[in-house]
Formats: sequence, structure tokens, C-alpha cells
Amino acid sequence: MSLTDRDVFSRFRENAFHVLGLRPSCTRMEVEREGQKLLAMLELGLSEAAHYDTPVGRMPRTAELVRSSMATLRDPATRLQHALWAQLPPGTPAAQAPAKEEPAPWPEAPVRLGWRRPE
Amino acid sequence: MATPLYIGIDLGTTNSTAAAFDGEKLTLIRNAQGANLTPSVVRIDARGAVTVGDRARRLIDSDPQNTRSEFKRLMGTSQALEFAAAKLSKRPEELAAEVLKSLRKDVEQQLGVAPTCAVISVPALFELPQSAATSEAARLAGFSRVELIQEPVASALAAGWSADSDEGSWLVYDLGGGTFDVSLLETRDGLLRVVGHDGDNFLGGRDFDQAIVDEVLAELLRTQGVDIRRADPRHATSLRKLKRAVEEAKIELSRTDELPLLVPGAFETDNGPVDVDVVLTRARVEAACAPLVQRSINVCLRLLASHGLEPSQLGKVVLVGGPTAMPSLRAQVQAALGAPFATDLDPMTLVAQGAALYAASSGLDGRPTATSATPQPSGRKVWLQYPAMSSDLSPHVVGRLVEGDSGPKPALVRLVRADGGWSSPDSPLSAEGAFVLSVELVPRKPNTFRLEGIGADGKPVPLSPASFTIVQGLTLSDPPLSRSIGVALANNAVRVYFERGAPLPARRTFRQRTVEAVAKGSTGNVLRIPIVQGELEWAHLCRLVGALEIRGDQIKASLPADAEVELTLELDRGGRLSARALVPALSQVFEQVAQLQVPDATPESLQEGLTAARERLSLLRSSAFRRGVPAVVASLAQADQALAEIERDVEAARGGDADAGQKARRGLLDLDAQLEQAESGLRWPELEETVREELAVASSWVAQFGSPTEQKLLDEAMRACERARAGRQAVELQRHLRSVRKLGNAAFYRHPSAWEWQFDSAASRVSEASDVAKAEELVQRGRRALEQQRREELRQVVEQLWRLLPEDAQERRLAHDSGVR
Repeated sequence: MSLTDRDVFSRFRENAFHVLGLRPSCTRMEVEREGQKLLAMLELGLSEAAHYDTPVGRMPRTAELVRSSMATLRDPATRLQHALWAQLPPGTPAAQAPAKEEPAPWPEAPVRLGWRRPE
Repeated sequence: MATPLYIGIDLGTTNSTAAAFDGEKLTLIRNAQGANLTPSVVRIDARGAVTVGDRARRLIDSDPQNTRSEFKRLMGTSQALEFAAAKLSKRPEELAAEVLKSLRKDVEQQLGVAPTCAVISVPALFELPQSAATSEAARLAGFSRVELIQEPVASALAAGWSADSDEGSWLVYDLGGGTFDVSLLETRDGLLRVVGHDGDNFLGGRDFDQAIVDEVLAELLRTQGVDIRRADPRHATSLRKLKRAVEEAKIELSRTDELPLLVPGAFETDNGPVDVDVVLTRARVEAACAPLVQRSINVCLRLLASHGLEPSQLGKVVLVGGPTAMPSLRAQVQAALGAPFATDLDPMTLVAQGAALYAASSGLDGRPTATSATPQPSGRKVWLQYPAMSSDLSPHVVGRLVEGDSGPKPALVRLVRADGGWSSPDSPLSAEGAFVLSVELVPRKPNTFRLEGIGADGKPVPLSPASFTIVQGLTLSDPPLSRSIGVALANNAVRVYFERGAPLPARRTFRQRTVEAVAKGSTGNVLRIPIVQGELEWAHLCRLVGALEIRGDQIKASLPADAEVELTLELDRGGRLSARALVPALSQVFEQVAQLQVPDATPESLQEGLTAARERLSLLRSSAFRRGVPAVVASLAQADQALAEIERDVEAARGGDADAGQKARRGLLDLDAQLEQAESGLRWPELEETVREELAVASSWVAQFGSPTEQKLLDEAMRACERARAGRQAVELQRHLRSVRKLGNAAFYRHPSAWEWQFDSAASRVSEASDVAKAEELVQRGRRALEQQRREELRQVVEQLWRLLPEDAQERRLAHDSGVR
């Protein structure tokens, strides 16, 4: 798989509507309300908020991703781009997920970088 | 429940102000003299006693060696300021800390509580080192937690809070003592969005005073033949005195038409003392300041144009800062922008009020923890998450029982608004002991809710906390980053980690690769990862704000060239930066960010920069004339003006004015960017040709191998290119061209022979590789992969070959000696 296909894949994976679990027709206030709720749930470690669904599979949800998705949808220009990708039906050739996530360079890496809490 | 205390501080160049918000009303804090404004002036006497504010300001002329002002403009630099009598030198942040301490004490005297947390405003275009120095000043002043807010955002929050219903676009025109900020904002559905920022970090009321001083000095030369130069250290004190007199005259001239300015024996020269005796007229002062006002208007128009707006589309303009009281400034701004000014707002205290409101939306209660450490009501502990301030009338409240806490467990919970007007349905707890409830708020009020638990037997179960408060009002959820931040790469490009406007806090990780080896144990061997801030695509045109260095004596084993480095940059809500580099080959993490400081501006280095800029300007001008490009010739006239101003500042820096030195440094960087733009203007025909070619190539690839969505995005990018081309916006055009290129590349790599072509190209440069033996081995491997049609392996080979090809030494030097690609 080429790097550029990975870019295409990430457009689905990091689509702001998918991250927030909203439809492209949602109002601006719904974006704020849903984002605020998800941030609160993530802060309390609730499993219900830990993942979101996309056409290329289930993805882990983080507070950074929620915040940047909210900012994306506040700006009409970036919202339009994300709406285009959110409306695309699942299963298009470009939307194939990579065979596997790349492994961490060494086991403790994600924890040291602050991405994941120690088990 | 005790009233919360949200403190906002406007730490200004000339004056500072504090405001408090209790969830319902805003209160301005008065100082010991009963004034809302405290001059940002610090005096330290021979005994080391510190005086802040008006009493210090009164001594600024008579005792300049022991009294310092305008240190905000030096924040983040290594420039120490001397106090002769006490034989002390203080860093700018230490002096700012004295002002903050004084304001903190004023809060304590007026409200009875010394706050431990506060929000402090900073100019929107403050660079990271300047913001870091502000946070440090707050820490030195005794604040245990502090958040920073950009001044225009604070003004807009305060203006929005006091307005009943203001929907649409606004401009906040904030001209302070030392900085100019303009922000384009949009309010919709009670939500405030910062659409964009612009500004000039070195344009303020002080420059207006300087322009009038220059006018007076020109008259002295004209009428008395006395040439007073700012470069002469003998005149430093006299010039300060003259500036003070001019500042007072400027204020008086907003009420009268002319005023005599008399300073007997103002300057000591070789021929004896020289008096200043001139008549200042309002017209003359206005004429001296008009180019500066126009400079600020140009920044406003540039901001509007970059968002495709006309001044006529603005709903209103909010004026902030002392210099905006000048009638001629108001008239000039009004004539250029057309939109009405927001009335009934105090331009001097608006920023502090907004900062206090922001403290509320960040839940930054300034009461010492001792207050809240009063005995907690007993009950089962619950973690609660709710917005301290919300524009939404129905926000969510999320709670979860604290694990391990003993006591009866509720089966149901409900929320009851304290005024009795609303209560939630009884909600069962999830398997994780959690609940999510939506609450209803009374507009523009603090809304207190009781949290009630009900046991399986229907009896009440006490919960802790038993109540909480949400204030309803205009909010700004996440502060946006004012300038993009990235890493300078060895080829002088910038890898952008955070785009301008990205919501804070933010964190991102990218993989970089080292361009050369670092030997274990060698102190001179350093891998340098420069962190830069700015919008231009070349690293040397961006500001270096920090560098992460990995030295040979820190590593467990030697690091080869082309080793992987996972770099994480993180920014907190106040824009403070931290960086971490993980080197998988060593299993080591490096975290120390060096040099978070504005670079020093020595007169010698400034002179060098000035000479280079002058030469570049002259070459550009002759080239523009030769090619007959009038637009570029016109743009160079502005560069001329900027160069003249920088020359004046370099001269003042030679006379010992450190602030002018910093202004010149920044001016040179801006001029460099301006000349770069002019050069791209000269290259416009070539750029247009490139755009035509690249659009054709991308269209062809996307038509053959792109998805429908990529096709749509390409159409959009092509339209954006066309708009930029029509408006002759070279930087914009290049930006959109990058999107086109990306889409074209995505499609190109789906061609079955794409990697074969790339392999041929990389293999032809094998002799230039940093490790020729390894490169030749890769070429052999690539040939085998090609013969056997193993495309994935061929791709890997090409990517490895690319990494062995060298970066240009000249580009690497320009890129702040970056060691990564």
C-alpha cells in the first residue's frame, strides 16, 4: 500500500463527523453539545466513548481527536471537505484499511509518549 | 455554596488591569490609589525596596536608572534590566511578576481573597518564548495555575458578554502601548469563533509618540541646526523625557488645536545645552501618526481579504487600547472600514474583563484550595464533568462513581436546578457506575444544580459533591493557535505539526529521520531538531522558537544516519510548548527543549542583516524595472519604508535601546518575508506556467486513477487556484497548488509503473548517497524486485534510497542547522 493510499484511508479514519458520531446535516450547536459530552465521557474513562465507527472499521477515540474534530466542523470550509468524505458510501476501493496497524517501535513507546495509559 | 472568584489580568505594555467575575457580574479591581489602571512601571531603590505603578511612574524621568517601564516588549529575551542603586539586574519576566504581585494584592484588598489562579492576556501574535515568559512571571507572582488568552479574544468575549444579541462578523481593533492586534470574529448561536488573526507585534501607542519625537527632532535640525541622534547614548535620558512630554501633549491635543512644547535645556551637546521650544498642532501630530494608523488599517484589510470579506460585510468594530481614543485615529479607521464602532465599552479595561470571563469558562476558580478544603459533605464520591460556562442551553453533565469509595451506592441519580424550575428524570447508573444527563439552563445566569442519589430501596443516598454550578453565556471553547508550529527540516522545508487556528491543547507525533550519524560520547556531536513558528513554507523565513537537541554524550549507543526519530510536540491551552523525541533504535526519550528564547539582537548582527536586506532590495528593484513589473516595483516602495524604519531602530539599538533592537530584529524578519513575496511576484509568469502544467498533470492522473471524492476535491482546489491566480496572490496560489499536487500524487501512485519510474530516478543518483555501499545494495535489491514484479518491495527500496540521498548543506544551514528530514 502506498503512502498516499494511507492518506486516503486517514480521511475516513479521522473524518470529523465519524469521530463525533454525527451526520453531515447536524447543526453547529449539536457539534458543540456532542463534543462536550464525548470529552466529558473520555475524561471519566467511559467505555461507551472509547471508540467510533467509520467505513473502514472501528477506531479508538481520543480527546485530541474530538477537539480537533470540533474545530474542523466550526469552520465552514473544512466542514465541507469532511462532509464530502462522510457522505461517501463505505467499501469504495480507496477506503480499504491497511492490513494491520503498524506496531509500536518498542513496547513502552506509546506510554512514554503519553498516548496510552499503562495497563 | 460560596461565590466563585474568576480573575482576569491584562498585563499591558503601559498599564495593567485586573477584573473579577463571580459567575454573574464583572467587577474591576481598584488599586491603592483607587484607579483601575496600574502603570506597568517598576522601581527598585538602593535598599532593594520595590515600588510598582503610579508612584514608580512619577520617578521615571527623574530616576531612570532605577525605574523601568515597557519591559513587556522584552519578554522572552535574555535582556536583563539594570537597577543601578540596588546593584541588581532583573529579567523582564521578574519585573512583570512585580506588576502581577501588585495586582494580586489589590484583588486581596478589595475582595478579601488572594487568588491562586488567573487568566492573563497576551497579544495574539506573541511568540512562544514570550508566552512562556508570561507564564513564568505569573508563577513568580504566586499564582499556582495560570492560563493565557489572546487579547483580542478576551476583548471579543467581554464585548459579546455585554451585548444582547450580536450575530455576524466583527473586527476587534486592539492598539495597545506596544502591540497591534486585529481579530476577525464571528458570533452565531451564542458561540464565538475566532475566524482569523493578524497584527504587528511592534506597532503601538509608543510608536506614535516616537513618530512625534522624530518630528520634533527634525524641527530642531531645521531651525537650530542641532542634530540629535538616537544612536548617541548621551541623549538616552533626554529623549525619554521628551517622549514623556510628547505623550502628554498628544493626549491634550485631542481636546485642543495647538500646544506649545517647551523643555528647557533638554539636550546637552558639545556646543552647550539645547532647548526644545516648538508648537505642536493637532494637524501636525495627526500627519506624523497617519502613516502608522494606515499601517494598522492595512493589517485589517489584509485580514479581511484573506478570508474573502469586504469591510462592508462587517457588523461592527470593537476598539481596544488607550491610543484608540485619538479622534484622528477613529476617523481614519472609520473611513477605511466603514462599520460602526461598538459603543458603551471601555477600551481600557475590556481585555481584563474578557480574561475574567474566560477564567470562568475554563473553570479556573481563583479561591485558594484552603477555602474549598472546608469539610466536604459526606456521601458517596462522584467524579463530575460539566462545562463551568456554557453557551448551550442544554449541556451534558457526565458523572461516574469513584471506584473504591465505600458507602451506599445509589441505583438512580437525578439533577435538580436550585431554583426549583427544572429537574432531570431519574437516571439509572450504567454497569460502569456512570450517568450522562442533559440539563436545562436559565440564560445569562449562574445555574446551581443539586446532585441527588436514590438507593435501590427508594431512600436518598448522599452524594459528594452535592451541588455544582454552570454559568450560561457566550463561550469560546478551545483557544486557537495564532501561528502555525512545525519542525525545520534539513532541506529548509517546514513540517507543520499544528496549523494556525488549531484548537489548543494539541498534541501530534510525526516520524522524522536523522540526516547524519551522532557518535556516542561526543559532546560536539549534536542532533538538532529546530522548532519554528510561522506561515511561510521555508524554515529560514519562520521564527525559531526552540530546539530539541540530542547530544552524543546523552545517548546509549551511536546513532546512525537515517535513524528514525518519533517527535511529539505538545501545546497546552496557554500555548506553552513541550517536545519529546523517541529514538526507537536507542529506546531513549529526550525531552529538553533548549533555547525557548527570543534571539538576542546585537547592533552588529542587526547591521549585518540590514546591509544584506539593502542589497537584496536594490537587486530586486533593478530586476523589477528590467522585467517591467509595476506591481512588484510598487510593493518595493513599502519595503523601502520598512527598511527606513529598521534603520532608525538599529540606530537606537546602538544607543542602548534594547527594545528598539528587538523591534529591528523582528522588522528584518518581516522584511525578508516581504522581499520573498516580491521575488515570487517577479517569478509570477513562471509560477503561472507551473500552475498550468501541474493542473493538467493532476487532472489527468485523477481522471484515470482517482476516486469520485478526489475528483470533487481536485475541482475545489482548482477553483481556489483560479481565485488566487486572479487576485495575484502568490503565497495563496502555492498553498492551493500543494493540495493539487497531493491529489495528483495520490492518483499517480496507483499507476502500475509508478514505483518503477521512481526507482529509475533514485538509482541514477546512487553515487550521491550518504552510504554508497548500502545504496548500491538497495539498487540491486530493487532490480530483483522489479524483475520479479514485487511492487511492495520495490516501493520500500525506493523509500530507503530517497533517505540516503543528501540534503544541500546551504539549505541545511538556512534551516537552523536541522538534523532531521
